[in-house]
Amino acid sequence: MAGSPEAAEEAEQGPELRAGGAVRRGKRAAPTAADPQPAKLSRAELYKPPTSEELTQLKETEDLFHSSLLRLQIEELLKEVTLKETKKKKIDAFLHDINSLLGAIPETPETELTDQAWLSKDVKVPFLQVPFNVKGRFHFVPPAELKVVGSYLLGTCIRPEINVDIAVTMPREIFQDKDNLNQRYHRKRALYLSHIAQHLSKEKLFGSVKFAYMNSNHLKPILLLRPQGKDEKMVTVRLHACPDSALFKPSRFYPSKNNVRTAWFMEQSTPKEGAAEPPTPHYNNSILCDTVMLSHLHFLSNAATDFPGMKDGLALLKVWLNQRQLSKGLGSFSGFLVSMLVAYLLMKRKIVKMMSGYQVLRSTLQFLATTDLSVTGISLAKDADPSLPVLDDFHQAFEVVFVDPSGLVNLCADMTASKYHQVQFEAKRSMEILDDRMVDGFQVLLMTPKPMLRTFDHVFHLKHVSKLQGTCKKMQLLNELMDRGGNYVAAALPFVVSLLARGLSQRAQLVAHSLPQIPEWPVDAEPPKHKDVGPLTFGLLFVPEFAASTLEKGPQADHPEALEFRTFWGEKSELRRFQDGSICEAVVWEASTACQKRLIPEQIIRHLLKLHADIPESSICYTGALLESVIKTGKEAWGTGEEAMVSVVCSYDDLSRKLWNLKELPLTVTAVQGVHPALRYTDVFPPIPVKPIYSFHNRRKHLLLPSEKKPCPAYITPLKIICHMEGSGQWPQDKGAIKRIKAAFHLQLAELLRQQHQLVCRPAVTHTDVYKDGYVFRLQVAYHREPLILKEVVTPEGMLKYQDTEESRQLELETLHLPYLTSSLHGLQQQHPVFGSTSRLAKRWISAQLLNDSISEECVDLLVAFLFLHPAPFTPPSSPQVGFLRFLNLLAAFDWKNNPLIVNLNTGLTDSDCAEIKNKFVAARSRLPVMFLATPKDQWSSMWTRERPSAQILQRLVLLASESRRALEEQLMDPLSDQDVKMVFRPPLDFYDVLIHLNPNQIPRQLESVDRPVKSASRGVVKNSSAMNILFPVVDYDPVQLYLQELRDAFDDLALFFYDKHGGEVIAVLWKPLSFQPQPFKVSSMKGRKVTTLNNELVCVPNVEAILEDFEILGEGLVKSVEARIGAVFTNLMLLLRKFTTCFSMFSLNHFTVGYGTDEAGAEHVCSTPDIGIDLVHLNYKDHFSLFSVLMAEGGCMWNLLPIVAGKRFLRTPKLKTSKALNGQNRPLT
Amino acid sequence: MCPRTAVRLFVGDIAPPLLYRVFSLTLRVKDSLSRLFSRCGHVQSVDICDKPGPGEKKDKLTSKFFDHKTVKGFQVAYVVFRKPAAVQAAKALSQQGPLLISTESHPVKTGISKWIASYEASIVDPKELKAEVDAYMQDYDKKMAEEEAKAAKEEGVPDEEGWVKVTRKGRKPGLPRTEAANLRVLEKEKQKRARKELLNFYAWQHRETKREHIAQLRKKFEEDKQRIALMRAQRKFRPY
Repeated sequence: MAGSPEAAEEAEQGPELRAGGAVRRGKRAAPTAADPQPAKLSRAELYKPPTSEELTQLKETEDLFHSSLLRLQIEELLKEVTLKETKKKKIDAFLHDINSLLGAIPETPETELTDQAWLSKDVKVPFLQVPFNVKGRFHFVPPAELKVVGSYLLGTCIRPEINVDIAVTMPREIFQDKDNLNQRYHRKRALYLSHIAQHLSKEKLFGSVKFAYMNSNHLKPILLLRPQGKDEKMVTVRLHACPDSALFKPSRFYPSKNNVRTAWFMEQSTPKEGAAEPPTPHYNNSILCDTVMLSHLHFLSNAATDFPGMKDGLALLKVWLNQRQLSKGLGSFSGFLVSMLVAYLLMKRKIVKMMSGYQVLRSTLQFLATTDLSVTGISLAKDADPSLPVLDDFHQAFEVVFVDPSGLVNLCADMTASKYHQVQFEAKRSMEILDDRMVDGFQVLLMTPKPMLRTFDHVFHLKHVSKLQGTCKKMQLLNELMDRGGNYVAAALPFVVSLLARGLSQRAQLVAHSLPQIPEWPVDAEPPKHKDVGPLTFGLLFVPEFAASTLEKGPQADHPEALEFRTFWGEKSELRRFQDGSICEAVVWEASTACQKRLIPEQIIRHLLKLHADIPESSICYTGALLESVIKTGKEAWGTGEEAMVSVVCSYDDLSRKLWNLKELPLTVTAVQGVHPALRYTDVFPPIPVKPIYSFHNRRKHLLLPSEKKPCPAYITPLKIICHMEGSGQWPQDKGAIKRIKAAFHLQLAELLRQQHQLVCRPAVTHTDVYKDGYVFRLQVAYHREPLILKEVVTPEGMLKYQDTEESRQLELETLHLPYLTSSLHGLQQQHPVFGSTSRLAKRWISAQLLNDSISEECVDLLVAFLFLHPAPFTPPSSPQVGFLRFLNLLAAFDWKNNPLIVNLNTGLTDSDCAEIKNKFVAARSRLPVMFLATPKDQWSSMWTRERPSAQILQRLVLLASESRRALEEQLMDPLSDQDVKMVFRPPLDFYDVLIHLNPNQIPRQLESVDRPVKSASRGVVKNSSAMNILFPVVDYDPVQLYLQELRDAFDDLALFFYDKHGGEVIAVLWKPLSFQPQPFKVSSMKGRKVTTLNNELVCVPNVEAILEDFEILGEGLVKSVEARIGAVFTNLMLLLRKFTTCFSMFSLNHFTVGYGTDEAGAEHVCSTPDIGIDLVHLNYKDHFSLFSVLMAEGGCMWNLLPIVAGKRFLRTPKLKTSKALNGQNRPLT
Repeated sequence: MCPRTAVRLFVGDIAPPLLYRVFSLTLRVKDSLSRLFSRCGHVQSVDICDKPGPGEKKDKLTSKFFDHKTVKGFQVAYVVFRKPAAVQAAKALSQQGPLLISTESHPVKTGISKWIASYEASIVDPKELKAEVDAYMQDYDKKMAEEEAKAAKEEGVPDEEGWVKVTRKGRKPGLPRTEAANLRVLEKEKQKRARKELLNFYAWQHRETKREHIAQLRKKFEEDKQRIALMRAQRKFRPY
């Protein structure tokens, strides 16, 4: 309110201001004219006096919306989902046609309900008539009234699924007394619809006529009509048959009344004497729903008049529900329900008609978040009629209670308490997000889908729902079954979910289930059975602190609850004596490693479902930890490496203590900081303590060396540690001298550690390796002023300036930023125990896709940290698998081009910092790395992505991530498939030009590969951590990495090399297309090229066959074979041929692809790669076979021929081996 | 005979008389090259560098452990013959096919054996390293002591024009001549000036702030509109 008088004042002062402004503007005009940004508002526009309209708009934005951006975003979204006027006209016309058709349907003669012979064979009754026999007579009479109801009239229906509901009122005369009993009303309703279907299915007006169950409730079939032609997707008209509102006496349907007789349902001839009939609230509710359709419409349209915000708000709420998969299926939180809820809030004055759509959304979410309808139901009934049932009656009958204006119908009848809790949980989470200024609420609330797999920490499927029949029997749910018309899924589901919720009460904050959904079916098909809902999916959201606890402590043995505890847990429960002396009932689950502990919920679920619900283990498909096998090291018992990581960190802590307390060191150690990924729990395969076998190695005095004759020894990672030394005047201020002093420190550290702690050390110039507890630590001494000294530049005026140099930047990265990152992420791991494993899965995937050298490890760690620090709209992951899925989604869905990824480590950034980063990012986009990560300590430079990944690599990464995510989610959501999740860890190789196959014996990390080899060579180490006084093992020796380094040094400008460092057996090579362009001859650019002539000019082109030969020579002993493939080069050649010739064919020779073709004049041409760009050689050979016989003769060696179908994609992958015999002399085509 | 590590020979009438591309191998390549070319005439020296260019004499490597610069990837070797006639002979070699650096009698290590050798070479002898470091530091200390002595001698002594150099060591140490110190001083000045200014004194200042507020809102609104337009262009508003 404070704003409005001010605004008025402003308006009054307007003219005066303008005058004053003009004077001043005159002075400022010059810089404005020079302003180079035309898109921005000019100064004159910025400072013109505001109109009152503009003021109100600005003010409204401030009052009604979070920010102007949110307002604009919401407006855009609404434009996207609301129905266009043109479409509306078409729909209206279509409805008009339907109206006239329905009136013209002929009557039928009266028959028994069970006599359905009058119905044609093309239409099947859309109702499961079990038991079949029922009394009553039916005949069709055209509808008494047709009325459009629901969201279409209110204007709240949203795209893409536009449904128009038509209530078809069945005339009174087709009903008889007691039609409320034993599904008689439902069957008449179904027959009524099938007769309509029979007539409408012949009409040309409709593209399709189908049946469906309303909200998948099989008691309530509806008829779906869609227009003909291209409009078929535009709209679905749903016909609901309903009775006259006064047909039934409402008191018959109170929740405590029975309307389904046990004898009828059980097909017994005579009712059991004296047994009271159970209430059938769900059955009653299903009839009542039909009677109040029209009154609900009136009620809602009353609420919506003069309330534009309601329409917008409902659209937003529906999008919100859809994104959370809450709005479809049996017991869903449907659009209708949410409309009623908004009307309720309006009635209670929690919402007023002034509000904007955004505020409606907010208030509704606020209400949902704070009200538990499963405990305190709400009612829309205004005046309390004492005869009507009270809320408590409803609570007795239903899990969730929301009573409609008539006071009779429970709108949430089919909803389980668990589903409502899920809605409530989501609402709570959404309110938190809306209040958090750091996140883009619009994006995460309304635009991000939340499928179960990515939302819940663990997900499992009930493969065969038919097993729930057994559950009904075991739990004695006959009454519920009767109430639900025999739908055992609906009857058993609430009980199963509450069973699980009780069993996991300590561990899970939410146990949710998917909504049973039955797809629509054509009118001539039998209606789907209950088992056709497919597998049921359950999701668990854990409380991270307790999810993995092995103990379930119960009441004391002498308490009365002990018996209950014992019956609940069955024979798993046993008496245990605890440390405080109490003797309690308790269940102890067996799990030794972290990865087994994470699966304790699985044990509980399997046990409880078997014990209480009679569901066999084979029917449960638990997908919580399927992916973890790719980060398991070696034997099963070792788990997924969490324990190994902890032991590394313990050893490191011990070492750092020893370093601090080292005596006789001239300067003290001020800090010891780890930088190796294992020290922040994100090393894919943490080191395992080992001791070398002497006989396996070559020995030179006290030195163990790898032997050429034996397989390569196991790879031992040096765990790098930075050891900061005290600053002192004794340090020299010259970079050469500092290096020497550091080397001296390395020598001395080694000596002192050996003397004082008996550790085996090996000093070097830049570091000292320490062999401790079976690990090798690499100590590197750092002096805090060294980067500064490296930066010093003296200007000609004698001023000392600091300028970043490559060397100083590298040193800072190593000694300053990396230790900080490591300790921050170490802290993150303490808060989120699965951070490490998630990051490891992510890195494993990246390296399996051969991209581990194309993106830095730190960058992946930060991306994963982002998932934990900014999980909205989700909660922080509590299982590695869900974390990994979200990682893939982040890579694939994040808009890297237009947004910086801000990782707020240790909440070091305020929201204004974030805004500033975003603004600066937009301004400087073209100069920044393609993937921009900002952290509190690194806001502007994105140091971990500065060089890698390149734009192409990022593009490929995004593509691979979205493909992998799709494939993985498909696998995980389909419990009936074989679920080979390792699929996404096997890279596609067909896209590379050359494959270098390696000798497995020389790959030290062979055991880390995704598909572990059955047999592998001995690696010359034994697992041991207690070794003292032994020879230093071979450290950091990986022939493949050395080979890759040499390849990259030599051929960097010609090719890219890809390799999976975790045991990959192949190096994939991709030629850089640009380097295959012929270049003018220059002495300096002769690397890997050869000279040839093009149009009488000397040019150089890559000498492919020599390069392939070099691949083999460089990797002697390591390379098994080099396989040249047809790839990019091939495509270039084909394009070239296409230009010159009309028909052509292509062949692949050793490293060549040879193309042959004839042009329009009949002249024949042949050309070959790698000689692209060379004049086509004209040859007079009759056909290509004779051509190749000549080539073979000339080459004098065996050619490998592979014909390729001209113009089409090649079908076979060529398997070509290079022959060593080929040398420069007999090169065929130059 | 197995062909190993062929030297691909390029001969042309350009500045460097001979150009060979060989791989980054050990120093043994030098021997092999001089052996190979000795058939053309007496080889005086072989020089390997990373790219062709005018031969600048490298300063002698003083240290075995420090300032190593290994040349990687393709390399260029200059072979200097004692007599010009040998160059002609060498040019003729290219017609005879590839020359092989690595022969059975004088193999050049590649692959596994090379990596094992370089692993062995990477392990330093602590004694040797210590001796070298000590020697260097002694030199360095001596040099520093000399410089300090010189500086101490010049302290407070005016030069020919009468200027006295102010250093940090003297009785009245001056400001350090660094960029950071300069910036600090400037910043202080700015703050001082800002403190003196009155913000809400004149009526126009009051009006101006209000105008500024509305202008800011408009500017932000305009920016937001642009962002939305960009997002709309990318179809960012399709919820599913």
